[in-house]
Amino acid sequence: MRTAILPLILAVAAAPLTARQAAAIQQRPGAEKQPAAESGGRAVTAAPAVEAPDSARVQLSKSATDSLKGLVDRFRRDPEAVPLPAPDQVAMGGKTVPAGTALAGPVAAAGGPLHVYGTVNGDAIAIGSDVIVHPGGHVTGNAVSALGAVTLLGGTVDGEIRQLGGALGAIPRAAADVETPARSTRHALALSSSWLIILVLMAIGVLLFAGDYLEGVVDSLEGRFGRSFWAGIATQLALAPVLALLVVALAVTILGILLIPFAIVAFVLAVAGLITLGFLAIARITGESVAPAASKRYSARGAALRALVVGVSIYVGLWVLASAFAWAPVVETVLRGVAVAITWVATTAGLGAAVLSRGGTRRSTPAAPLAAVNDIPWQTPTPVTGVVAARRPTPSSSARER
Amino acid sequence: MTARMSRVLAPAIAASLAGSAAGAQSWRTLEVSRQLRDSAPAAVQVIYGTGKIGVRATRNPLLYHMLLRYDASRTQPRHAFDTTARKLQIGVQKSEVRFDGQKDSEAGHLQLELSKTTPLDLNLDLGAVESDLDLTGLRISRLRVESGASDSKLRFDSLNATRMSMLEVSLGAASFRGDRLANANAADIRVDAGVGNVELDLGGQWTQDMDLHVDITLGIVTIHVPADVGVRVSLQKTIASFEHEGLVERDGAWVSRNWDSAPHKVRITAKTVFGKLSIDRTGR
Repeated sequence: MRTAILPLILAVAAAPLTARQAAAIQQRPGAEKQPAAESGGRAVTAAPAVEAPDSARVQLSKSATDSLKGLVDRFRRDPEAVPLPAPDQVAMGGKTVPAGTALAGPVAAAGGPLHVYGTVNGDAIAIGSDVIVHPGGHVTGNAVSALGAVTLLGGTVDGEIRQLGGALGAIPRAAADVETPARSTRHALALSSSWLIILVLMAIGVLLFAGDYLEGVVDSLEGRFGRSFWAGIATQLALAPVLALLVVALAVTILGILLIPFAIVAFVLAVAGLITLGFLAIARITGESVAPAASKRYSARGAALRALVVGVSIYVGLWVLASAFAWAPVVETVLRGVAVAITWVATTAGLGAAVLSRGGTRRSTPAAPLAAVNDIPWQTPTPVTGVVAARRPTPSSSARER
Repeated sequence: MTARMSRVLAPAIAASLAGSAAGAQSWRTLEVSRQLRDSAPAAVQVIYGTGKIGVRATRNPLLYHMLLRYDASRTQPRHAFDTTARKLQIGVQKSEVRFDGQKDSEAGHLQLELSKTTPLDLNLDLGAVESDLDLTGLRISRLRVESGASDSKLRFDSLNATRMSMLEVSLGAASFRGDRLANANAADIRVDAGVGNVELDLGGQWTQDMDLHVDITLGIVTIHVPADVGVRVSLQKTIASFEHEGLVERDGAWVSRNWDSAPHKVRITAKTVFGKLSIDRTGR
């Protein structure tokens, strides 16, 4: 059985690429693996005299050869490739290293198998085909096949056995590549612009569905910026201890342990919500002050939306500006530092206002109206001489008297 | 305002779309192996950031065999063997974790097969991965598994032919299950986890006594110990529960009734802040 299969294996492995297969390469340049031979390939006599003679190679058509040359070029640029010999030394259609011979590597074949019966002092490479190391065959370097396989039929490979599949060539790098200034600038701009869009969309959503809460935070923030800012700092400092207390409180009751993950998520969501609400509130105030809307031109909601978009654009615009200088690291660092500082101050004040207003649910109490004063008795003409005018009562003096 | 807004937003949208288009993927497969020359010890360092990883013994006369599917636009394979120091570095550079909605079938994976005859000092440095470490049949002299956020399984279905000096597992937020760990042939096992669920099965062939150190900040630890093995548990807990059915308190620790007579013993030292430690002696 074994003796029957061996010639078949050798025949399959030994036959070089036919013209039809070469044409198939041209049609399917990204094919994972090329067939070694057609099913009707010629059988070769069994070992030790089994050697596929180079004369067995078929002449490839010009188009097939050109296609293979393109494949070889792509392989040269591949990061997983090993150094190849000069283009004219890559054997198109396959190659055989006869027994008893030693070739200086690298030895390469394309579009047909590389049979190693002798010794390759260096790397043995097959592109679009297989490397087959037969009994007695020896590769002192690596055995590499691109879009094929490395088959050991009793031979030895001192180095690594490597098979590549998928797209060959220089890979357009995303994260792993070294960033060029233009690319990093483009990436930074895309990122900050995306944030601008996200925040504008969030602003619209908040205005539509939580406009009252936003109004509450704006009320709390207006005229009390300093207080809101310090409240924001206090909130930031308290976040970690409050979370720890929450976890401990839940952990004290054994059943509560199960709720800990949910409590952590809820806590994070609540804080994120407050920060967003606060930031949008301060963005709106900023927008109103920078570009006040003409009262007749916009509805109340339209004016609020305009102020929000302007405010958000101002704050995120700082980041976009910093991103635009990603090609100049020093300038970018300075601008980014400015953006960080301003954003932090704004976010902290907004967070403080959101906390003080309980998420916008508690409006700041309006100033107490002056107590109604009956002016009638005081409308008598003040005597010009002789009588001291009585002191007009005010709400505060009335309170003092009480 | 509308016209002005569109002038502002249009380039931003275009830029963000360009950014997302730039993140094209380029999936490739790489298969590397090396013929086995001798059975001298080797150190293996596996680095893998995200995806699925499997480790097992090879049936072929190879020192190692790696089949890797990876996105070449984001990661770079590593496969270097220092023949002098006999040190293998294999895997891929750790990449950032990306949430780009890709399906599991589209994720990268690494299958590593190692020689059965070479004593290995195996070091796995994993990121956010799903790992299946079937070390059955390998000769492991030292094992260290470090992982960030992972779902990991470690298995020894037959006795490790080499005595393991240390089995060390360090996890961030993870689910970890170790099966038939007595077959690891290790006198010292250490499991250090931040948050997660750790299940250790000490079944298998016992050849020596064992010290097991478990340190978990927040989570549930379950240790399955065969009934014929003596157990001694020292527990330091802050707010945690301890299920010690079948154990009695003696000298500040909890011991099994067969502690003095058991042919093999395991000394468990556990530390936990929030969580639960269970000792299961019913056998699995």
